[in-house]
Amino acid sequence: MKKSLRRAVVLAAAAAGLALVPAGAAHADSGQTYTATLNALNGSGGSGMLKLNLSGDQATVTENWSGLAATFDGGAFPHVQHIHIDGKGQCPTSAADKNGDGVVNTIEGQPSYGTIGATLSTKGSTSAKAATNIKIAPGGSSTSYHRTITLDSKTADAVRNGNAVIVVHGLDPSTLSKKAQAEKSPLVPSLPLAATSPALCGSLTSMPAGAPQTGAGSTAGVEHRGMFALGGGLVTMAGAVLLIRRHGLTSTRTDR
Amino acid sequence: MTDRKPTIDGVRARRGRWLTLLALTGLVVGIAIIITAAATQRHAAQPAPGAWGTVASRTPTTPLPGPATSTMPSPAGTAKPAGKADPSNGPSTPAKTSSPADPASSTGTSHKPDKQAATSSDDSHHPTALPSSEPIKIDIPAITVDSTVFGIGKDSHGGLQVPQPGPHLNDVAWYDGSPTPGQTGPAVLEGHVDTIHGPSVFLRLGALSPGDKIKIGRADGTTAVFTVNAVRDYKSHSSFPSDLVYGGDLSSPTLRIITCSNFDQGIGHYVGNTIVFAHLTAVHH
Repeated sequence: MKKSLRRAVVLAAAAAGLALVPAGAAHADSGQTYTATLNALNGSGGSGMLKLNLSGDQATVTENWSGLAATFDGGAFPHVQHIHIDGKGQCPTSAADKNGDGVVNTIEGQPSYGTIGATLSTKGSTSAKAATNIKIAPGGSSTSYHRTITLDSKTADAVRNGNAVIVVHGLDPSTLSKKAQAEKSPLVPSLPLAATSPALCGSLTSMPAGAPQTGAGSTAGVEHRGMFALGGGLVTMAGAVLLIRRHGLTSTRTDR
Repeated sequence: MTDRKPTIDGVRARRGRWLTLLALTGLVVGIAIIITAAATQRHAAQPAPGAWGTVASRTPTTPLPGPATSTMPSPAGTAKPAGKADPSNGPSTPAKTSSPADPASSTGTSHKPDKQAATSSDDSHHPTALPSSEPIKIDIPAITVDSTVFGIGKDSHGGLQVPQPGPHLNDVAWYDGSPTPGQTGPAVLEGHVDTIHGPSVFLRLGALSPGDKIKIGRADGTTAVFTVNAVRDYKSHSSFPSDLVYGGDLSSPTLRIITCSNFDQGIGHYVGNTIVFAHLTAVHH
């Protein structure tokens, strides 16, 4: 009995050692992770999520989105996407639609999300200069994006300071008002307004640190205290009744 | 008058037999309840054997071959416990998503082949992701949780806030930096296991098992129904799998529910977390 107990203690200690060493190592040099929930803008109907791990100036981006416009001029609809910086770190609301055409265009959204810090292209340049290069933008109604890119110091700082916003562009023209359908893109005049207007937007925020403290200890780790009480109560009551019964029976018998 | 005495005796004897029977039944039921509570208690308080494998298999600094694989508990590193199903062992049926290591995206979590087949056919038509709409209500019939849900953010140290004393202390909180439940990606909920006043909303969270349903009412009137894939216990706060909880599989609508576990009598605090992983299986309009 004692031997097996000792063995259990040794095993537990070994297991605890295993648990502590790699977990401790996990905190070193793994950078900070940021996430952004990508919500629909301008009624695009899409949604998605982006995760960015920043270590020094290296940003590893993992992103999934779906529900956006699928085709454009017979090909896959190009959805240029960027890390916007130096705005308010927010996504615009419909109140940002200054010209009343029903669309918050890229310029109208800038007071909220700022200017372009980096382009999340599928290959080649990731600088702001590549912002409207539709040849290296993810295409189609959905994407599963993964790329490690180098951020300039301004963009890396903005991410760390919680002032970076992910914006994915490109709306289905048929969902726009007549007025908006006739407009040209304020960024690339050769393209219609829909092509460059924001379709998804999400602020990058740092992943919560550590584990939530969701207990005070009043139940002292006895997650089923109520059940123990109920069970214990029943057993005690039953015992008492049986004891009384036995006494009762004996006295009845002696009476006779 | 004379034939009354035996009648009283008879009534007494009959009543006595009933009392004995009742007492014996009470005894048996009482013991059964204690045994059941103790069994589920162990489930809640002890780490799933997979938690060790989970922690041991973290290889944090290796270059990321795929975003979702290296930073997450790998099913390969998990020791298989004898007899009991380990939720972190991953699906034995082909995973429907790109990230089999995410317990919430694996489909075959049951250890019974027949149940597993049923689960797989349930999952053959995943509902598509919902647009953003904040959660307002949660209903978990298996552990009789019926609570309102409110949004919560981070504290000044960058950690996730927890429900504070006041009207929301025993409510369920949704991390407002995570997707809304039903949206693409992992929605994160948390609640207290207890407070200084006694048991709280997730006292019995660890008693959930794969297949149990979690219904979340959203502000837009829809109800997102999630099915539990795995219930895991992370023994220490340092083993809390942040990447898996807040990141993990971004490609489909999943859910994580967090509470505290593993009470340390020595320091008077909970030192671990129980986390329930679930994925969207139905949407009611």
